[in-house]
Parts: sequence; C-alpha cells; structure tokens
Amino acid sequence: MKLRAALMISASLLATPVLAEEMTIGLSAPLSGAQAYFGNTWHNGFKLYADALNKAGGVNGVTINYNQQDDKADPREGTLVAQLFCDDDDVVIGLVNFNSGVAQSTLPIYDDCGLPNMTFGSNPSLTQQGYEYMVRPVANDLAGALLPAQYALETLGAKTAVIVNDKQVFGQGISEIFGKNFKDGGGEVLDTLAVAPTDVDFSAVLGQIKQMNPDVIYLGAVMPQLALFARQMHDQGVKATLMVPDGGYTPEFIEQAGAENVEGATVAIQVPPMDASDAIKDFAAKYQEAYGEEPGPYSIYGYVQGQILEEVLKTTADLSREAMNEALHNVSVDTVMGHLEFDENGDLKVAPSFLYKVEDGAFVLIDQM
Amino acid sequence: MVGHFVQQTVNALTIGSIYALIALGYTMVYGVLKMINFAHGEMFMLGAYAAFLALSLMVGDVGSAGALALTVAFFAAVLATGFVGVGIERLAYKPLRSSTRIAPMLSSLGVSLALVAAIQILAGPQPRAFPSFFPNERFEFFGGSLTTIQIGILIASFILMGGLQILVTKTRIGIVVRAVSESRATAQLLGINVNRSISMVFFVGPLLGAAGGILYASYYGVMTPTMGAVVGLKAFTAAILGGIGSIPGAMLGAFILAAVEVAGTALLPIVSFGTLGTEYRDVLAFAILILVLLFRPAGILGEPVSEESMVYKREF
Repeated sequence: MKLRAALMISASLLATPVLAEEMTIGLSAPLSGAQAYFGNTWHNGFKLYADALNKAGGVNGVTINYNQQDDKADPREGTLVAQLFCDDDDVVIGLVNFNSGVAQSTLPIYDDCGLPNMTFGSNPSLTQQGYEYMVRPVANDLAGALLPAQYALETLGAKTAVIVNDKQVFGQGISEIFGKNFKDGGGEVLDTLAVAPTDVDFSAVLGQIKQMNPDVIYLGAVMPQLALFARQMHDQGVKATLMVPDGGYTPEFIEQAGAENVEGATVAIQVPPMDASDAIKDFAAKYQEAYGEEPGPYSIYGYVQGQILEEVLKTTADLSREAMNEALHNVSVDTVMGHLEFDENGDLKVAPSFLYKVEDGAFVLIDQM
Repeated sequence: MVGHFVQQTVNALTIGSIYALIALGYTMVYGVLKMINFAHGEMFMLGAYAAFLALSLMVGDVGSAGALALTVAFFAAVLATGFVGVGIERLAYKPLRSSTRIAPMLSSLGVSLALVAAIQILAGPQPRAFPSFFPNERFEFFGGSLTTIQIGILIASFILMGGLQILVTKTRIGIVVRAVSESRATAQLLGINVNRSISMVFFVGPLLGAAGGILYASYYGVMTPTMGAVVGLKAFTAAILGGIGSIPGAMLGAFILAAVEVAGTALLPIVSFGTLGTEYRDVLAFAILILVLLFRPAGILGEPVSEESMVYKREF
C-alpha cells in the first residue's frame, strides 16, 4: 500500500511538469496531390511563427509540438486523420482541413471528442451547424463572393453571367453565393452548369457557354481545373471575363493556363498583397528567409493562426481540450492581418477580402473590403 | 447554330483521336496475348513526362523550346516509352505467361501503381505546365473556332493510326504479329519467333500511347502523374466498345465515345430541362458501354461469339 502510494506520487510528480511544458497541435491539410502546394505553404506559415515561439522559450514556458498529417484533400483521409488526433491525448488543439468538403466530414468527429480546432474550410454552412469546438480564422465565402459580384456589376458593367461549378462543397457553395449576389445587384444569371471534379476537358461546356455570350463567367472550382478552363476558354474564343475564387491565387494558375489566356481574369481571396503593411512585409521577408521561397497564398493565415495559438496559450486556464476551447472562442488578438475576434458561431467578426486581376502575367490588386 | 455544331464536332474529333491512340494499345495487347494491360494508361502519362524531361535536358527552360527541340523531344519520348513497354513485358508479364490468365493482369495493375508512385516521387505530385507542341493560333471556321493545336492533334494521330494499319496489314512484322494473335502454338511450330513479335506489340502499343499522352498534355497545357487513370479507363472503354482485339474497332469506339461525351454534354441539360447537368457525361459514356456489352458483347466490330471463342472465355 505504501509502495503503491509512493509510486503514484512520484508518477504524478514526473507527469505534471511534462504536461505543463509541452502541448501538441494537430495539423491536417493536403500535403500531396494537386493541392499540396496550398497545404504545405499554409502549414509553413504556422510553423514559422510557432518555431519562433519555441525558440524564445515557449509561451509561459509551454512549447509547441506538431503532429502533421496529410489529408490529401480527401474527406475519407480527413476523417482518418481526425480520429487519429482525437485518440491522441497529447493533441489538445487542431489546425485542420484546408478543404470545405473535408471539413464537412471531420467537424462532427472533432466535436464528438471535444477537440478544439481552427478550421480553414470557407463554406459558410460549416459554422452554421452548431459545432461547439470550431472557429474559423478566415473569411467565409459570403465575403469571398461578394466583392467579385460587385466588381462585375459596377466596374465591368456586366449584365449577364454564367456560373460553372464542380459540384463540390466549396465550388458549388461559393458559386451559388456569387450568383445570388450578382442577381441581387441587378445582373442576370443565364445558366448554372456543373462539371465533374475530375473533368479536364471543358470544350463541350464552353461550346454551350459561347452561344449564350455572357459578360462574365464565374467558375467555382479548384486548381488545376481553373487553369484548364481558362486556357480552353481562350482556345474556344469565349470572350467573357473569367472570375475565380481563392484557389486561383497562385503563380501556377498563370503558368499552367498560359499568361495570355488568363489576362484580365479576376481572383478573389482573403489575402492582402505582401507589401500591404510593414507587419506583412516583415512576415514575407521572414518566410522567404526560412523556406527560401515566396510565401504561398495562405501562408499568412498560418502565421495568423500561430498568433492566435499564442494568445490562447496565454489566456487558457490549463492545457486541457476544454480549457483551450474556452480560450479559443474568447480570443481577442492583434495579428498581422489586424485585430481579430470570433462571433458566437466561431466566424470572424471582421473578415477582409481582396480582389486581384491578372495583368501581364502577374496579380494586381484592384479592389478590397 | 451551325457554328455550335461545327465547334462541338471539332471538339469530339480531337478528344476521339487521342482516345483512339491509347485504345489501340489495349486492343493490340489483347489481340495477341488475350490480356488486359492495365499499365497502359501509365504509358500515356510516361510519354508526357519523358517529353518534358527530354525538353528540359535539351533547352533548360521548357517554355522557350523551338520547333526542332520539340520534334526531337517528341520522337525521343515515344521511342523511350516504347522501350519501357518492352522492358515491362519482359519483367512483369513474360514470367507469368504460362500461368493463369488473371496473373499477368494483376501484375499489370501492380506495374501501373508502381509507375504512378515513381513519377510522383521523381517529379512531384502536383500538376505541371506542359509546353505546346504546335504553335497555338485560333481561327474561325464556319462559325466555330478551331485551333492549330486541334488540327495538329488530328493530323498527328491520323498519321500514326494510318501507319499502324499499314504496319499490321502490309508488312512482314504485321503478318507475324497477326499469326501469333491467331494461334501462338501454331505460329511457333511454323518457326515464328513468338517472343520477338510480342515484344513488337509491347513496343508499338506504348509508343502510340505515349504519342497520345504528349498530344493530350500539350492540348490541355498540364500534365499530372495520375492523368493516365481517367483517360486510360476511357480508352479501355473505347476498345471494348469497338470490339477489343480489333484495330479499326478501337478507333471507331474512340470516336463514338468522344461523340457521345460531347453530345451528351451539349444536349443533356437541354433534353432534361436542366435537371441533368454536364457532369453526367461520364455516366452517359459508361451507360453506352453497358448497353453494348448487353446486346453485342463482342463490341461493334468485334468477332461475333463463336464456339471457339467461348472456349477461350472458359479459360478464365
């Protein structure tokens, strides 16, 4: 009896300091496949900030471990990763799922096991389903599809639009929101066409669109379909202005489509230009130094999520999932993207949005809100 | 309306001729070995990657390659892929030739996965921009628009298909290959080198597949390690549709499949008043396949089912 008590005391003495000094964050995103670039550069942005925190001795003595997993942008893989994080007691917070479609299937799992998470999927419905353990530190598609619709109507003077989507949670969601905004602003949506997410040939669809002769085409899809579509649009002689969502904000969009084929196409994304402020310039320089390449389209959000995690670790009562969730929902922090707080659903209270246009093979900022 | 029709016809012909080049590989291997080579879709993918590699070795910056470099890269890549095909047959299929018919088929599935993984490791998993092998000029044609790439693809694939037809029907190699296809044992008794003619089939099939891959990648401007999977399946469908084992059948099947796809994309939303969208074009293509298999199992130009071929089927 005595021995057992002594063992228990020494075990708890050993265990307590370890628990207090290390926490593990579960990172999940596509690290291979067509969207690997997005996932890797997003996570790199986060690691850049977290590594600096660790180097400085952690937050109040707590250092950050990673458990980084590849969800391959596939809902089935995503749920496996979610279960893995849930079952690992060391993981107390998750930075998860780049894709809305993947998040849609993993959020119930995270909610069931009470693992607080920062979700990246931008489909507005994700935060409307009553999940108590999620926040979304990026703008949702309501913002992402408002700016392009306004721009099309007001600046381009567009009257008609055709919407094409890939029938995925993200692509269909954001294109429907664009359609609604376009109609509300007085425009006419001539037709909504769907393509399969594996399609590479859009010539037949474009043949149809050409007959309708719309002023703009909104394409709710991801890479590499965005580039394929843009190129074939030019080949088929379709004159409309192409508008695409955030997945197109990558040099590959221009490279794979061919610069002359995407001239004038617009891309809406939540990311400011990398010289928008001193803090952002500083981030871009650090990123360049750490990884030897330009920041990816979402790297800055990884960095912001590092700043959120720092604030959570500063304000949390302890390192339990429950306490971390409480602190995460009540976070109020100044980041490189400005001040940031979450509403009761876990959405950003103020969500920025930016619109770029391809000009001479580069992205130029044309509008923001 | 005429313009629309012309446009969609050109689109269907372009896709169809690429499908046809790949379908020929499936059909030739089946004709000679009675085996479905599932690694054939990957020959299509390898062709594009080999051409890209050849270009970057020659000119460094692939985007600025001149006509000579492009021509050399095209021929180097198709020949290299042909030799890869021969090597795969030697390593993965020949040792299994006397075992059950299912064994080399499964072996080909393994080869297919291994090739995709190898390219993903060597060249990275993400899609890559692919240079155009023809100057891309667009001009109006009866109200539709036609690009020089499409014309180039049509010409190149018809030359290749015509060449194959001449090779098979008019040359000594063709006679030997057809003899082996008719009966391997009899051909051997007559002093034909069976191994060499099988190697020939595994050289020509992947060569045509690789040419298809290069044309396809330069048409769409992108190549990915997994591009062989979907297109390979379509070409396989085309080969079955036309009657597997028949060379004209493979070409016919490919053009029918492409026409059904394009017409389906254009017409489905109209005939269904918008409830069925263009995303169902694959469903339509495979539905046609099921119908053909139900009512004419040998395919459109395939040999009708005889007692002899029933004996073949029982070997499964």
